[in-house]
Amino acid sequence: MASYIAKRLLVIPLLLLVFSIVIFFLIQAPPGDFMTTYSAILAGSGSSMDNEQLNLMRVDYGLDKPMHIQYFRWMGKLLHGDMGLSLLYMLPNTKLIGDRIGLTVLLAFFSFILSWLIAIPAGIFSATHKNSIGDYFFTVINYIGVAIPNFFLALLLMWICYDLWGLNLVGLFSPKYEMAPWSWAKIGDLLSHIWLPSLILALGGSARLTRIMRANLLDELGKPYMITGRAKGMSEWALVMKYPVRLAINPLVSTIGNYIPQLFSGSLVVATVMNLQNIGPLLLQALSMQDMYLSGSILLVYCLLAIVGTILSDMLLVWVDPRIRME
Amino acid sequence: MTRRSIVIGLLLTFVLVIAAVGVVSAVEYSEAPMLAEKVAAGELPALKDRLPEEPLVETPLESVGVYGGTLRRGITGPNDHNSYVRWMYDSLVRFSQDGTSTYPHLLKALTPSEDYKVWTFEMLKGAKWSDGSPFTSADILFWFNDVYNNPELKPAKLPWLYNSDGSLVEVTAPDDYTAVFTWKDPITTVPMEVAAMDNRDNLIPMFLPSAYLKQFHASYTDVNALNEMAKKESFETWKQLFENRQAPFRNPARPVMAAWMSVTTINDPIYTLVRNPYYPIVDTDGQQLPYIDQINFITYQSIDALNMSVIQGELDMQDRHVIMQNYPALVEEAEKSGKYDVRLWPTFGGNDAALSINYYYDKDPEYMKLFQNHDFRVALSIGIDREEIIQSAFLGVGEARQPVPRNTSPYYPGDEYAFKYTEYDQAKSNELLDGLGLTKRDAEGYRLMPDGSRCMIEIAYAPQFANWGDIAQMVAEDWKGIGIEGVVVENERTNHFAKRDSNELMTEIWNEDTTGFPFTGAPKFDPRTSPGVCIATAARTWLNSNGAEGYEPNADFKRVMEIIDEAKHVDPEKQAELGKELFRLWSEGCYEIGLVGLTPLIQGVAVINVNLVNVPAADTLGNDWPLRTPGNGRTEQFYFAK
Repeated sequence: MASYIAKRLLVIPLLLLVFSIVIFFLIQAPPGDFMTTYSAILAGSGSSMDNEQLNLMRVDYGLDKPMHIQYFRWMGKLLHGDMGLSLLYMLPNTKLIGDRIGLTVLLAFFSFILSWLIAIPAGIFSATHKNSIGDYFFTVINYIGVAIPNFFLALLLMWICYDLWGLNLVGLFSPKYEMAPWSWAKIGDLLSHIWLPSLILALGGSARLTRIMRANLLDELGKPYMITGRAKGMSEWALVMKYPVRLAINPLVSTIGNYIPQLFSGSLVVATVMNLQNIGPLLLQALSMQDMYLSGSILLVYCLLAIVGTILSDMLLVWVDPRIRME
Repeated sequence: MTRRSIVIGLLLTFVLVIAAVGVVSAVEYSEAPMLAEKVAAGELPALKDRLPEEPLVETPLESVGVYGGTLRRGITGPNDHNSYVRWMYDSLVRFSQDGTSTYPHLLKALTPSEDYKVWTFEMLKGAKWSDGSPFTSADILFWFNDVYNNPELKPAKLPWLYNSDGSLVEVTAPDDYTAVFTWKDPITTVPMEVAAMDNRDNLIPMFLPSAYLKQFHASYTDVNALNEMAKKESFETWKQLFENRQAPFRNPARPVMAAWMSVTTINDPIYTLVRNPYYPIVDTDGQQLPYIDQINFITYQSIDALNMSVIQGELDMQDRHVIMQNYPALVEEAEKSGKYDVRLWPTFGGNDAALSINYYYDKDPEYMKLFQNHDFRVALSIGIDREEIIQSAFLGVGEARQPVPRNTSPYYPGDEYAFKYTEYDQAKSNELLDGLGLTKRDAEGYRLMPDGSRCMIEIAYAPQFANWGDIAQMVAEDWKGIGIEGVVVENERTNHFAKRDSNELMTEIWNEDTTGFPFTGAPKFDPRTSPGVCIATAARTWLNSNGAEGYEPNADFKRVMEIIDEAKHVDPEKQAELGKELFRLWSEGCYEIGLVGLTPLIQGVAVINVNLVNVPAADTLGNDWPLRTPGNGRTEQFYFAK
């Protein structure tokens, strides 16, 4: 087991290296660079920078160098733990990402927990009450959850809340706490705001999980060991929870690896629409502004999370499923 | 009493009244409660020690205000620093509210010599930066000597600082409160140029808190230590560190002369500014400005989220980023909620959609012949139904006009030229085209070129800040009626610029927002301007290559350049005359076919809290970037009625 984990961990740097090359060249693929986008933004509000000024800035930030030189400069810094300078913010990327990673992970964690809290009971209910009204109800909700893009759901809910109750559900904090230092009151304020984006993010994911759970459980419910269990007089509840549910949950655990990066990237549009200060909007802004060191660094962090997520889910599987442990 | 004594009596009273006003105002300066508290607590010097000996007096627009309140405005993140620049309008000279004149702002006076070769900046005695350090001529010299003339920091060249022989202006400071700029030739555009020398586009302004900034400058501090400091913040060199530290919206420690000073930075979710206790301006009652305590620039991750907040009335004054198409919804919501007022501030001049024709389109000599023909360009112009474009693309606001300044401008060429060739007349258009020999038509009614191919004109645009795609479609539809096939081509922005530079565009739709200030900045109708429009890119190539490549500018383009060069050096009257000539020529030439102008397309839909007073009424605020709108409405004298 230990050597298995060690092997998996050792591959991480190699994977990151490959990813970094792919990422860097992909985000540089669109025509133009940060300066062209920047000048276009300025032009959009009336002002204009002339080409001379733009070229001076290009030289300043090394944007005039060939792409592979730019890549090596970035890599050189990365190896020293420096993710480079964000041209947009004029701040070190390490700081920008560091400042937002907490809220990002928190939001992802909340929606993850929520989606499991919704999905597992709903899946069990649907499977054990197959084709009942309750099953249909959950099925419809699930299809809606999968079919509606979550940013659209966010917009809808925001508009409904404003129209019905005059609530403005934008952001993760009330204006009063936005810039305040951390305190219990601020945490309370955060909790009173974070449920809606978490719920929106959880709905899409839980819909999928519910379906998987339902299907897996249905496979198990007809198996002979169930009949044996019943024959031995086990209560239905204890029987379902003890055997088929444990089996049916395995595939769910193995999806965590995919699910974690999806939570981060999925929150990108929702966070932008709801004005949440997590990494999502930062990435979107960095990509659309062609702030390549910032977007590259964030994407690399995403890749790291995906890799770690996969390893975590493998380890969880080992823990949940004794059969894998035995092998 | 004789008549004479009455006159003397009146005069005496007048003098006495003036003296009384002078004495009263000298004694009775007052300050905001939040500052008075700090003075009482001993955290701040008394008001009279913070104000200059003779503070500038500003007359409020409608009424003298009361102190207090926090004003909320939306921004879109750190690249939106021009929101700060526009709101503060922190420059030594400002444009008036209507944008037609300038006045000294943080200066006592800016005066030219009789021959306009020497300009004297007279500074306010005793004026101070927001940290209490003196604001003197050394702060202008520091910019000129240590920033503009520093080979490492050197920003892009500012053409107005040079004589015609290429040498640099001479700048001296005879005393602490005088800075003198001496040119070899007369120059009359100085106030307008100085008005633009603020933190625009994240560049360095022409007056800097030298006492504070010297610690980040290699001429005053050890360069190795500075580079070390820079590395720690991921900068490459001290240059970037210096540029970062001098930007007030990135560095709250940087002292300012503006009405408000930063508490947080533009990178924060809420960029907060509070009143500058040393602001050197008072109102007519002697109250130190600004009236409003605090400004909150709230960051929105998307323009849509920002507009949502605007509609909900959560921002106290928003014009920037308000989407013009939301105007009807805003008016409706304003009536329902009563929270805000919607005002239109149409653009200052020019055109919000102009169709530029490439005079040197040489991919097909037949088309080049047509594009160089005046009748052909006129036929294209009068073949367009501008009224329809106004109705469907600009919500019925704006006027059909050529790209010339607004009629309040000294350069306005008169109605005849402003509306020349804008009347919709397809019969006349067809007549002109027939006269050019384009009489053969194909089965669908399109005219044929001499080689038998259909007469087809590409209308290119980049999806930028307006719905130019829709407008291009309407133009193409109209051109069917005159037998010309318009083909709408959408280019990605960078591609569009590249195609323009390589002379590949036939025509393009863009805005013309530089007519208000033809003699400063980078006017788009000057062939030398880059980026400009596609009209004479090949002439620019010719000029840059000394005639080796491209095409020689035609007589009109040459005259445009002559006028622009000459006008910088002549007195204002002659300048106005030259301006009029320029726009008569431009409108008559029909190179840049104006479609619609004076719309509120760019930041012209203002949503204002009903309690906010002294904000210019609809259509009374010149709206343009060189005017720093809404800064030219003097934000420091806005106040919240209780």
